[in-house]
Amino acid sequence: MGNKQTIFTDEQLDAYQDCTFFTRKEILRLHGRYHELAPHLVPMDYTNDPDVKVPLALIVNMPELKENPFRNRIVESFSEDGQGNLSFNDFVDMFSVLSEMAPRELKAIYAFKIYDFNVDNYICKEDLEKTLNKLTKEELTPEEVNLVCEKAIEEADLDGDSKLSFADFENMISRAPDFLSTFHIRI
Amino acid sequence: MAASRIMETIPNGDGDDDLFELVAVGRSCRAVRFDVTHEDHEDLEAQHSHEPRHRNSLQRNSWSSSTQRVLSSMPSRSIRWNQTAAVSQYQSRSTKTRRRRPPNTPCTANQEVFREAQNCAVDGTQKEELLNKLQDLSAGECVRLLREMPLSFSEKHEIRSLVFCLKAEEPISANRALCCHQFKACFLKVLCGGWLRFQLWQKVLKNISARFGTGVLSYFIFLRRMLHYNILLFLISGIFLLLPQISNPPPPSKDNDTDLWMVTGTGILTDSVMFYGHYTNHTSGNYNIPLAYIFSIGTGMFVTCVMLVYSISKSFGKSFCTFKTTGNIALKVFCSWDFKVCRKRSVKLQSVNICTQLKEMLSELSCRKQKRNLCSTLGWLSVHLLVWSICLLSIAACMIAVYYIHPKIKPGGHKNNVELLTLPLVVSCISHLLPGFFDMLSRGEYYDSPSVHIYVSIARNLLLKGCIFSVLCYYWLTKIGYSQEGQNKQCWETLVGQELYRLVLMDLIVSLLYIIFAEFLWGLCIGNITFRRRKLEFDIARDVLELIYGQTLVWFGVLFSPLLPAVQIGKLFLLFYFKKTSLMKNFQAPRKHWRATQMSLLFIGLLFFPSFIGALTCVVYTMWRIKPSSHCGPFRNRNMLELGKKWIINLENSNPSMQWLSWAYVHLVDNPLFLFIIAGLFLTIIYIHMQVLDGQKMIIEKLQEQIDHEGEDKKFLIAKIQALNEESAQL
Repeated sequence: MGNKQTIFTDEQLDAYQDCTFFTRKEILRLHGRYHELAPHLVPMDYTNDPDVKVPLALIVNMPELKENPFRNRIVESFSEDGQGNLSFNDFVDMFSVLSEMAPRELKAIYAFKIYDFNVDNYICKEDLEKTLNKLTKEELTPEEVNLVCEKAIEEADLDGDSKLSFADFENMISRAPDFLSTFHIRI
Repeated sequence: MAASRIMETIPNGDGDDDLFELVAVGRSCRAVRFDVTHEDHEDLEAQHSHEPRHRNSLQRNSWSSSTQRVLSSMPSRSIRWNQTAAVSQYQSRSTKTRRRRPPNTPCTANQEVFREAQNCAVDGTQKEELLNKLQDLSAGECVRLLREMPLSFSEKHEIRSLVFCLKAEEPISANRALCCHQFKACFLKVLCGGWLRFQLWQKVLKNISARFGTGVLSYFIFLRRMLHYNILLFLISGIFLLLPQISNPPPPSKDNDTDLWMVTGTGILTDSVMFYGHYTNHTSGNYNIPLAYIFSIGTGMFVTCVMLVYSISKSFGKSFCTFKTTGNIALKVFCSWDFKVCRKRSVKLQSVNICTQLKEMLSELSCRKQKRNLCSTLGWLSVHLLVWSICLLSIAACMIAVYYIHPKIKPGGHKNNVELLTLPLVVSCISHLLPGFFDMLSRGEYYDSPSVHIYVSIARNLLLKGCIFSVLCYYWLTKIGYSQEGQNKQCWETLVGQELYRLVLMDLIVSLLYIIFAEFLWGLCIGNITFRRRKLEFDIARDVLELIYGQTLVWFGVLFSPLLPAVQIGKLFLLFYFKKTSLMKNFQAPRKHWRATQMSLLFIGLLFFPSFIGALTCVVYTMWRIKPSSHCGPFRNRNMLELGKKWIINLENSNPSMQWLSWAYVHLVDNPLFLFIIAGLFLTIIYIHMQVLDGQKMIIEKLQEQIDHEGEDKKFLIAKIQALNEESAQL
């Protein structure tokens, strides 16, 4: 029902609607945005499910991500190869998790992946230092960075191994009701 | 699959083009996997020297290689999202309410979610279990669970197609079940104003959030929400009251064509559908206008009440936190970056703000809080008392001023229409200018934390507006409503309705003037005079309280002027566009962190409790106690509530099929014993919930202790393993 569009089959659109938090119209709009990123690469016809990935460098040029200090990590966390090359499915997935309707638990899982720079399933002190430097654009002195990282780990680490596992991270996030509104990108 | 190569030139920031080779790569697993075998050389770097005592035992460079091998094969190091665990967690959650977790699974459920798996691909047995569990759920719950799985889209798609193949013989019936579910969701969304909430002003709000962040955005979202409530109220009264009255108009009365009728509500507006006096008191056709009046206004208020309570409960759920905020630095690092902001300058400002706040937190930690001696405590206390007394005195002065300006408007007659505008002008000026005065005074005060400052200024502002509204209500309901002056030819309800109309319009005019003078012109001055071209900062709390005050007037006035919600809709539209333009031109992104979720809860709470409940109380008091005027309007000399009661009781005679309604009213609603029982039941339920909450808090504390103990056990065992390995190495 609705307009006749030839980008996706109805079955594909139903699948997108069920597996993400977007409606049909929003999926079509997202496809338009994805196509804009690499018009020569991304076909307009997705009915036969082409295997096309847009590289990291193009995706982080999107206005929503361009100035975000964590843009590389965000895109890498949602890519299948871990290098930041997103297929359309990954692209939709990324904005679905970052949308308003995603629940706190889902966002916490991906936030943890984003802040885990060395991808070892723990946020260790080096990850924290990198996060802090990206947040403050290296305005803090190294001693201050050190102090903040230590204090943060001391506050959040529950099982005493001097790094944050997912359980520690989620426990800490549950104390911040703002997390839902700040970890949100409108597209 | 065949790899296809495409060469693409992409401009990079330096002005040249980079040549990229885009290769379609094979699919690989996106799950996070920790490589367990190789040694981590980074761990052997020198650890920080200021490590707290109890962590020294976990320094990696002191362990032998056999201990490290054991450590790296611990289950917690190799994690993989476990789908079946998530489904069972979801099932146990969905059998009870979504928000409440069963007391024995909060932490273990999270550990279950990340559990060891042999390989990274979804292996056969796990898939089988997951599919079996998903089959038991209904289509709606299945979809909900699918959306919340942290898997890649292709895996979700696979699971979905398998589940729906297994569920029904043909996938078409599964699609139909989904269609029904989608239709229901769509219908509910439309009913709750989903279109309005999600589509109206979408691009504008995105621009605002990109430049100014979530705090300022919350004001505009609040405005949109109030627009929604007013539209609903207008639709209800419009369809059931306006249309029938318009279709059977009474004979027109004489038209005194006064000037400024649009602003003062006099002249041709007096005897129009705008105000109470125009509505007939008899049954035209088959339609009983007086009854429709009561019921449409009553339904409108009831629907608004239900929607407000629903919004409050949703906001409360989002902003509820079980622990006290002690982990401030960690929260600041992880939760303070607003991902919506995407303009370069705003992003830079945000970084600077976070940096400043972190430095402040560090300095607070390093120097202990100096104990205030007696002198400084007395000084601090006296400043606070002084400011509070000035504020209270000025509020009292305003109340007296408003009360004494009133007698100039007598129901008998007035000479000049402009005189009618003095009261609304004075009230609007007070409500716009005095909060600014209070803010200036409070700059001399010292507060422990910025949020206390915000709460105190909100309290003062609220007190001011509440007092003004109560003075106005008192005057209207006691002086005008009860006045027994002899030649009372005019409707007092229409008079009150006209006053409210003037107040609402004047509020709009003064707001627009304020935006033009205090924001555009003053912002221009500040920007040109100050060296750093500083711009103004948006005071979110003050503007939201303005909106709440305006809405209180509308909710009270809907009884006397059923078209007032339409005026409010126009006012909100105008205000939105003016404020947005002013914001983009004159304001900069806020410097302090604004706790959007908690503040939204506070504002919607304020909208419900003092504003809506206050207006509703006044409306109910008017309907119940005050005699309507005798020669105009739908209720000439008949009490409004009595009319409704009599009609329901007479239903069984006039319309035998509705006898149950009449019976229900007489034996349930009008029966004090039944109401007493219902109130007692509600109190009991609230008490039970409170006890359950206390019990869960206790359980959370115990579990936290348990985690600490497990951590201690882990350190102990690791030390033992190390000791054993050292012994066996020596032997």
